[in-house]
Amino acid sequence: MEYVSSLTGFRFDGRRPNEMRQIRGEIGVLAKADGSALFEMGNTKVIAAVFGPREVQNKSQQIDNQALVRCEYSMANFSTGDRARKPKGDRNIISYSADHGSKYINTFDASFSGKNLKQIDIFLQVLQADGGTRSACINAATLALADAGIPMRDIVTSCSAGYLCSTPLLDLNYVEDSAGGPDVTVGLLVKMDKMTLLQVIALMPTFFFFCCCICFVLLFV
Amino acid sequence: MVGLSAGEKQFMHGGIAQDLRSDGRQRLQFRPISIQTGVIPQANGSARVTLGATVVIASIKAELGKPAPLRPDKGKVVIFIDCSPTAGTMFEGRGGEELSSELSVGLQRCLLGGKSGAEAGAGIDLSSLVLAEGKICWDLYIDGLVISSDGNLLDALAAAIKVCRFIFLVRFEISSPWQVALSNTGIPKVSVIVEASAEDQLEVNVSDEEFLQFDTSGVPVIVTLTKVGRHYIADATSEEESQMSSAVSVSVNRHGRVCGLTKRGGAGLDPSVMLDMISVAKHASENLIAVLDSEIAAAEAAEDDGS
Amino acid sequence: MKEILISLNQTQKVRLQAALQHLDELASQVSSANLAVTVADTIPVNNEDGILKGHGTTEFDGQVVATLCGIVERVNKLVYVRTLRARYKPEVGDIIVGRVIEIAPKRWRLEINFSQDAVLMLQSMNLPDGIQRRRTAVDELNMRSIFEENDVVCAEVRGFQHDGSLHLQARSQKYGKLERGQLLIIPAYLVKRRKQHFHHLEQYGVDLILGCNGFVWIGEHAEPIDSEVLEDRDKIPKDKHRDTPLEVRRNICRISNSVRLLSALGFALSVEAIVDTAEASKSSNVDIKDMLGAEFYVQTAEREVQRRASLLKKKRFV
Repeated sequence: MEYVSSLTGFRFDGRRPNEMRQIRGEIGVLAKADGSALFEMGNTKVIAAVFGPREVQNKSQQIDNQALVRCEYSMANFSTGDRARKPKGDRNIISYSADHGSKYINTFDASFSGKNLKQIDIFLQVLQADGGTRSACINAATLALADAGIPMRDIVTSCSAGYLCSTPLLDLNYVEDSAGGPDVTVGLLVKMDKMTLLQVIALMPTFFFFCCCICFVLLFV
Repeated sequence: MVGLSAGEKQFMHGGIAQDLRSDGRQRLQFRPISIQTGVIPQANGSARVTLGATVVIASIKAELGKPAPLRPDKGKVVIFIDCSPTAGTMFEGRGGEELSSELSVGLQRCLLGGKSGAEAGAGIDLSSLVLAEGKICWDLYIDGLVISSDGNLLDALAAAIKVCRFIFLVRFEISSPWQVALSNTGIPKVSVIVEASAEDQLEVNVSDEEFLQFDTSGVPVIVTLTKVGRHYIADATSEEESQMSSAVSVSVNRHGRVCGLTKRGGAGLDPSVMLDMISVAKHASENLIAVLDSEIAAAEAAEDDGS
Repeated sequence: MKEILISLNQTQKVRLQAALQHLDELASQVSSANLAVTVADTIPVNNEDGILKGHGTTEFDGQVVATLCGIVERVNKLVYVRTLRARYKPEVGDIIVGRVIEIAPKRWRLEINFSQDAVLMLQSMNLPDGIQRRRTAVDELNMRSIFEENDVVCAEVRGFQHDGSLHLQARSQKYGKLERGQLLIIPAYLVKRRKQHFHHLEQYGVDLILGCNGFVWIGEHAEPIDSEVLEDRDKIPKDKHRDTPLEVRRNICRISNSVRLLSALGFALSVEAIVDTAEASKSSNVDIKDMLGAEFYVQTAEREVQRRASLLKKKRFV
């Protein structure tokens, strides 16, 4: 299948290879959460809710001199095109959310932890999955944390990229994502220019990894 | 979930007795309801319903399937509700499962008249879903998601389902082939050609230009009456629900017929009270249907303006 | 957010947008000096005069960087970021409303929308008999007769203890258990610190307590119980079963809906604004429940524009 038109150089949905989908963020979408955000990347739509900082609910989980950050990720049944039933306790998803949680701990302000031990819960709900859900989740969580007024050292942004038809493509949608080419998801601290997440599926030439990094810095500028 | 002090409880009970609830409503009044349709473009029909601080999303997807051997002339409907942890920390992990299955079963009873959905549905004409008897039919997957919870989830979910079904019927768009999955369309019309070969192999052509008309004139709404103290109230908030002794959910269709009934809560109800509640719910449902109709019209108008 | 919560028709939408835009313009005229930052923005400082980095700031590459979204505030050498939306940050002397969640030895734990539970010690409470004395073991056993779990309590922030926990006190007749009314929880930043947080709205017969932590109590007016006349304490329990009169209840609901409406619109809650809104609804014959509807929502936004515009005019005139 031809994912990039050889004639025009455009992709299926009319984007250029290094073009992102339209992004849209909205904060304060939920009345009951401390912070909440809705984030859209094209057709991918994620709601993030932040509860806390609050007293640690399960005292045995308390970590000294650190905030307890927990993260749960769930996908709505209607979020994917083929409505595959994914039970909540899916192991993939658990490790996925653990991954999210540990990543976020690192971005919290040191001043925030200290003596007052606290718990912060991040809940991510995918409403629509059209590729790049992981990136959208990270971006949504960042917005929700900012909305909740939780101090952060830096803004975490994320974007994915792939390699199809010998062209590096930025921000894959579902069709491109499922084409089986290599893809990479990167999370970046914008100000510090440091990477917090790097996930690579399938082998790929290293050069394009470089190019995708540069591209998504544009995201939050 | 919601803890109330004795003073607050007394205030609430007193208010219900005096027919003036804490947000100024009378016992049988609903909170303002707002509707947005087509929120999930990947589904065949979808809607978000906001009822006070309660926010739910419902989506309907249609997939081709095979009718159950015992009921070759009927399609299938599956209802599944999920409570998102974004609605509150009590739904994290497996915390929402109990409520989710309670809501799923409640909706199945009220809308389909049975748990399996295989019985002659009161709300949905299952035989209209069949394309070729015993061979191929539409399976409707109705998924609900509770985004934010402030009581009366069942009514909100039923309203959301009703609304997205409405869209289902009315909105037809013709899309180019690779956009099909991403546009808010009706069910594509399917022409079935039965092959002469032995194994009953079906060849299905999905046409993008024609759409199946889907009869939904009798889709019911649910009105839940919650008994607090000696009186019952409609559209209870989560604070009011925390004080309920029992609740009766009645699903009523446009013609004023009761399609299903569920009772929740521990306390018993006097049969005469129950009958009274059913007739009150029937009356309240007329208003609710009228409100939903006007909201749908408004949502449609807004969408038309936008496009 | 506002569009999701309330369904407006086309004209109402246009009116609301116009009103909100107007408010933005007015706000920008008033406070252009303050700088708004988001996370990771650099805060410009003059490095020569030793800056003190306050809340919501950190240092990165020799620059002062914000860790919160909000407004940069400067007090002498201190630079800090005031967040727009966050949980409550207690200050000593704040009047707060909280809900008891646990009774522990010699103390109650209260939920006050802070990042940790607040502690109200038995010794920082006035005992029901009003006598100043040592707390005995009997008092400790009788704690539940003062406050039970889930009770709504009004108290004052006493300060932070060495272990970082927040302590409260209720050493006055005006503090204590709140009954016959309802508690609303709104974002804490909408309640500004004022001299007076207890309001007795005499024309309504309603008590309004604007807790600094965003817990707002609206209840029937209760005369503070004088400690001297506590001999007839039996009178109070009898009184307990009396229902709130309908007229007072109407007023409570009207005031509550004003609070709900103003917080939904994101307007600061002052007693004047609340009473204003309630009066406006009364004078234009808006039903109590319709105060939360679309039409009154837009009207309130428009009225706020007028109020702020006239305030600005007055200021200029002076």
